[in-house]
Order: sequence, then structure tokens, then C-alpha cells
Amino acid sequence: MVCAAAGMSGVLRVTGDPGGAIHLADGSVAAIETPGAPSPEVLLLRSHRVSESAWDTAFATAAAAGGPMGAELVRREIVGAGELEGLLRTALADAMFVLASGTVEEYRAEPEPADAVLPLRPGAAADVLLAEASRRIRVLAALPARHDRDRIVAAAGAARPGVRLGEGQDEILALADGRRTARDMAFALGRGVYATLLQLARMHQAGLLATVSSRADGADGPPGADERERGGVPPVASALPRRQRDAPGSPSSPTPPRRPWQAGRAPELRAPLGLLRPRAARDANSGETA
Amino acid sequence: MAVDGVRAAALVDIATGMVIRSAGEEGTDLVAAAVSMADEARVARAVLGPGRPGGDLDEIALVTKGRLHLIKILGSRLGEGMLLFVDLDRTQANIALASLRVGQLAPAVLA
Repeated sequence: MVCAAAGMSGVLRVTGDPGGAIHLADGSVAAIETPGAPSPEVLLLRSHRVSESAWDTAFATAAAAGGPMGAELVRREIVGAGELEGLLRTALADAMFVLASGTVEEYRAEPEPADAVLPLRPGAAADVLLAEASRRIRVLAALPARHDRDRIVAAAGAARPGVRLGEGQDEILALADGRRTARDMAFALGRGVYATLLQLARMHQAGLLATVSSRADGADGPPGADERERGGVPPVASALPRRQRDAPGSPSSPTPPRRPWQAGRAPELRAPLGLLRPRAARDANSGETA
Repeated sequence: MAVDGVRAAALVDIATGMVIRSAGEEGTDLVAAAVSMADEARVARAVLGPGRPGGDLDEIALVTKGRLHLIKILGSRLGEGMLLFVDLDRTQANIALASLRVGQLAPAVLA
């Protein structure tokens, strides 16, 4: 509450899955760091929008001059100011969506501002970002969308000649090796996690992809198999294991996909973010719904 | 924006349907409209098909009795790109002039 009284700048550190750090400046969100979503730097470099060498040169110049990286990228005409603002706003929305759809175990507000590589100045309104995160979760809840950490594999025959692939679908199929998740693909391609999940949902609907299993569940097969191997089930009756294999949840039946997206989870971050905003703004927004 | 008959304008991320920035008259549900516009752009690109002998999607014009909606695809190479949505009053706008003017102003949005 010290932060709220002192004003509007600081860092909200969120512990959880995936967790992250929300940087606030003058009451609005300037940057979000999370291992769950690609940063603006990753989005620019992995999408090949900006070359590594151009980035490195701009970074060195900005660091030497003690100036902001964003202004240096614009000054060198590597990206336009409007395009950079668009990128930073979409990256913030993606990071907030990932934090809001994950779990929040603990949070800590630090009143001291910290450096971020590409902050948005002036920042984005936290309420707008939370409303966008809620919208995204509602959209995914209504789709056959998989979790961002379900492993994705190309469906048999998806890439064969004659199958017409749409925007960027060939890149997704090339990465869908049964080990990568939507999150891995977003990082590899330099795209947002939400944009990737939407693309994957459309490709699932078109029969181009399948889900292997969930990494988040921590199991590749049903737990029963391990128990039997450990001797939990006595291997006495020879007919019994055969019947078990045909039973639901046994190794022969595929794991049913979970329904991970449930609308209404985003406000979990509303209270922590309120700690870093001025009291007047909190009171004005207290009646607002997501 | 210096285009006759403009009621509102918005910059929209095509991949997510998110409104990046907006200006103009209140009252339009831009958040819901932006999602539909992003879908329209995606469908229109699919209609053009692979190869696109006539060139990539540039603009979609939607005309009703009272309104003119222009959806201008901007030349961003990030993700699926961005679009500029311009909502005009049809009684005050000329479709050809509005399209020309929006085309002239569009590059400045990303610059």
C-alpha cells in the first residue's frame, strides 16, 4: 500500500505459473517480462522483422548514449514509430493475457522503477489490458483451443501435396513435431501466444493438427501403467491386463483434450495491479467490470 | 484525420483482432467490430488464394445505406500485419475520394 500512496511507478513481481514482472510508469503499464510470452525483442528478431546485426548496433549505440532503445530503432529507421507502438501494445496485451490465464501464487509491489529493454511510453492502461485478457480467454473458451503447453503434432497427411495451406500454416506444420507446444511455436516464430493459439485452433478445426498430451499435466501416459510396472497391481490373472487395456483411460485410448480456458479468470490480477495505481484512479474504476 | 465524413478510425492487429489505437466519435463498439474486421481481412486473403496473381489484399470497402467502412491493410511485416479501419458517414463521404485519401494517409500511421 506504500506504493499506492507514493504514486504510480514501480514493478509488480508476480510469482506463479508462468509469473513475471509488470512495470508501471505514471500509473500505466510500460513493460511486462514473463517467460510465458515472447518479449518485443523476440517478436522483432525471430520474425526477421529486424536483423540481429541491426538490433545489436542499435543496442550498442543506445547503451553508450544511455538513451532509450525504442528511440534508437526509430532514429535508424529500422522500424517506424507507429509500427513500434503497435508492436509494444500487442506484446503487452499478449504478456498480460499469459499472466492472467496462468496462476498467481504471490505478488510483491516494489516502488522502485526498474529498467526494461523496450518500454511503452506513455504506457497502456492496466484496465484496458485486463479487459483484453478477459476477452481473449472468453474467445479461447468458446473454441476447441488447446492449452499453450499442450504438445502439438501435425495430422497424418496434413503437409502432403494438394492440401492447400493458408497464411503461415506451413511454418506451424514444420514445427508441429509432437514435442513443441503453442508457447514454443510462438517463441520460435516471433508471434504472440494468443495469435498462435488462434491459428492452432483454426488448424485443429481444419484437421491439420492433433494434440499429443499435456506437458502441464506432467504425464505422457495414464498413471495406471506406471503403477503396474512398480508392482502396485499383482500380475496374477492373465486376462485382467487385457481388459484393462480396453478400458477408458488405458494406454490404447487417447487422452481426451482438457478444456483449459475458462472465462472470468483475468480479474485475479486486478487487485495486485491496484496496489501500484493512485488511490483516485482506483476509486474511479472500482465499479468497472472486465 | 483529414477525410470528409469520418466518424471514427482505429488501428487493429489482424492476428488478434485487438484495437491498438482509436480516435473519433464514441458510441461505436470498436472492440467487437475490430475482431470482425480482422476475420474479414483473413477471409478476404483466403478468397484471393495462394499466389495472388492480382496482388495482396489492399483494401475492403463495406457500404450500407448510412455508412461507409474502409478497411485499409497496412504494410507491416509483423505477424499477420495491421489494418486501419475508417468509419465514414455516407451522406458526407465520396467512396472513391475517401479511398484515395485514406490510401495517402495510411503510410504515416506506421511511420
